[in-house]
Amino acid sequence: MTTFIIRRVVWTIPVILLVILMTFLMMRQIKGNPFRHTERNVPEAIQKNLERKFHLDRPWYVQYAYYVKGVFTFDLGPSMAQRTRTVNDIVRDGFPRSLKLGLLAYLWAIFLGVPAGILAALRPNSIFDYGAMLFSSIGFALPSFFVATLLIYYVAVKAGLVPTNGWPEGFWQLDKRIILPSFALGLFPMAYFARLVRGAMLETMQQDYVRTAKAKGLRYRRVIGLHVLRNSLIPAVTATAPLLGLIITGTFVIEFIFSIPGIGRYFINSVSNRDYSVVMGITVLTSIIIVTANLFVDIMYGVLDPRTREAR
Amino acid sequence: MAVDRREAALPTAPPAVGAGAAEDSSAGAPIAQASLWRDAWYRYIRNRAAVGAAIIFILMVLYCLIVPGFWKIPGIWTSLKDYDPDAVDFSQAYAGFSLDHPLSTDKFGRDLFARTAVGGQISIAIGFTATLFILAIGVFYGSIAGFIGGKLDNAMMRFLDALYGLPYLPFAIITLAIIGTQNFLAMTIALTVASWFTTSRIVRGQIITLKENDYVRAARAVGARWYRILVRHLLPNTLGVLIIAIFLELPNVVLGEAFLSFIGLGINPPTASWGSMAQDGRDAYRLHPEVLFIPSLAIALLVMCANFIADGLRDALDPRTRETS
Repeated sequence: MTTFIIRRVVWTIPVILLVILMTFLMMRQIKGNPFRHTERNVPEAIQKNLERKFHLDRPWYVQYAYYVKGVFTFDLGPSMAQRTRTVNDIVRDGFPRSLKLGLLAYLWAIFLGVPAGILAALRPNSIFDYGAMLFSSIGFALPSFFVATLLIYYVAVKAGLVPTNGWPEGFWQLDKRIILPSFALGLFPMAYFARLVRGAMLETMQQDYVRTAKAKGLRYRRVIGLHVLRNSLIPAVTATAPLLGLIITGTFVIEFIFSIPGIGRYFINSVSNRDYSVVMGITVLTSIIIVTANLFVDIMYGVLDPRTREAR
Repeated sequence: MAVDRREAALPTAPPAVGAGAAEDSSAGAPIAQASLWRDAWYRYIRNRAAVGAAIIFILMVLYCLIVPGFWKIPGIWTSLKDYDPDAVDFSQAYAGFSLDHPLSTDKFGRDLFARTAVGGQISIAIGFTATLFILAIGVFYGSIAGFIGGKLDNAMMRFLDALYGLPYLPFAIITLAIIGTQNFLAMTIALTVASWFTTSRIVRGQIITLKENDYVRAARAVGARWYRILVRHLLPNTLGVLIIAIFLELPNVVLGEAFLSFIGLGINPPTASWGSMAQDGRDAYRLHPEVLFIPSLAIALLVMCANFIADGLRDALDPRTRETS
C-alpha cells in the first residue's frame, strides 16, 4: 500500500511538469507580448532591461524553467494588465471564492444527488425512480447559464426571495446569496451522482454476496447498508475527480452570470484584456488542482478497492 | 475533462462488438455483420425513449436545415413571411409570440423562428464537425497505442493522463487565443483540442480487447500483415463504440460552444449560434426572457436527445449492459 501511494505521488510530479509545459508552450504561441517592439518608442536600453527582467532574452526552455520554479515557489509573476497587482494577488483574491462556490455545489450534489440515486435504486421502475431519472436527464442537458438565469428570473426577480447577485466575502460566511449560484453549479453533479449511484446500486444488488447476505437472513437495512451501499459508493468517489473539471468549467460561467469575483471571472476578463500571465497562472493552478484531485481519488480507490493497486 | 459522463456511459472494458458474431463464421463476413446490425437495430427500436429522442433529434436537425430556406420560396408557407434571420426591423422588436413570428423576435426585431434555425445550423455543424475531428484523432491515436502496445502505448497513455489535467474551458479558450479569430473553424478546432482524449482512450481500450480475440490470432497465423489485421479485423469492430461516441461527444461540444459564446469568447453576436443568441438574450431577460429561453431550450433539447440516443445505442450495441440498466 505504501509503495503504491509513493509511486502514485512521485508520478504526479512529471504530470504536473508536463501540464505546465503544455500550457507554457501554448501561451507562447499566442501572438503579441507586452514588451514587443511597437511604434511606441521605448529606448533600446529600457527594452533590453525589461526583457532581461522577465527573462525574455533567454531561450524558451530557460524561461520554462524559471516559470516552473515560480510555480513551485508560489510566485506566478506579475499581471500584465493590472500594474499594481501580481497573479498571486489575483489568485489569493479569487480562489477562495471559487473554491467556496465549488464546494457548496458539491454539497448539493452529495446531499441531494446521492440520496436520490439510492432511493431510485431501492424502488426501481417506481414513480420515484422515473422522477429522479427524468430530473437527472434534465440536469444533464440544461446548460448551466440557462439554469442560472432561470433561477435569477423566477426566484430572485419574480419571487424576490434572494438578491440577484453578490457573494458573501468571507470563506466561512454564508447567507442566502449563496443559494442560487451553488445550486445552478451543483445541478449537473447532482444529476450525475444520482444516475451513477443508481446504476452502481442496481448492479451491486445483483451480486452473489448480496444474495448470500439476504439468504442468511440479514435484515433488509443491514443488507443495503452494509453490503450494497458501501460497494456502490466507490464509483461516486472516483467520479469526484473528473467532476472537478466540470465544476471548474461551471464556475467560469456561474461566476460570470452572478458577478462573483472568483478566478473564473478573472480568467475571462484576463482573456479579453490579453493579460496572459493571469490566464496562464489560473490555467496552471486549475491543472494542478485537477491533477492533485486525481491523485487523491486514485489513492482513495486503492484503499477502497485493493484490486486496483496492482493494475497501476 | 468532461471525462466522467462519457467514460461512465461506456462499459469499463468495452466489449468486442461483433466479436461474437464474427467468431461463428469467418471474420468480417457480410452475413454475420448484417445480423449484428439488424439485431442492434431491433434492440434500438424497442427502446421507446431512444426512438423518441432520435425522432426529435432528426426533427430538430431538419428544422434547422429547412426553415431558413423557406422565406426564399414564395408561395410556400406565406404566413411565415420575411423569414430572413438577419433582417432588422425595429418596429417589430420583441413582438411577442404570433403567427407571423411563432417564436417572437429579439431586440432588433429579428425573427427568432428563423434565427434559432440558423443558429442551430452553426451549433450543430460545430458539434458534428468537432465530433468528427475527435473521432478521427481518437481512432488514429487510440489504434496506434492499442495496436502497437508496449512502451509506446504506455508513453502515449501517460501523455493522455497529463492532458486530462488540463481544464476543458481554459484549454479551449487558450486555443482560441492562439488561432486569434473566433469563427466556425476556430471554434471547432478549439473544442476538438480540448476534448479528444476520451475517445482516444475508448478506442485504445477497444483495440486492446479485440486484439486478444481468436480470429485476430488466426488472421496472424495465416500470415495477414499488421495493416490488414488493423483495417480489416480491428477497426471495423470499433465502429459500434464510435457510433456511441458520436452521441456522447456531441452534447459536450454543443454545450462547450454555447458556454464559450455565452461568456463572449466564442461565436460573436451578429452571427447566430445558440450560444451567441443566448448571450444576446441575456441583456433583456428580465423583460423578455423568451429571447434567452428559446436558444437555451434548443440546446437542452438537443443535448437531452443525444444523451438518450447514446444510451439507446449502447444498450442496442452492447447487450451485456442491458440487464442492469
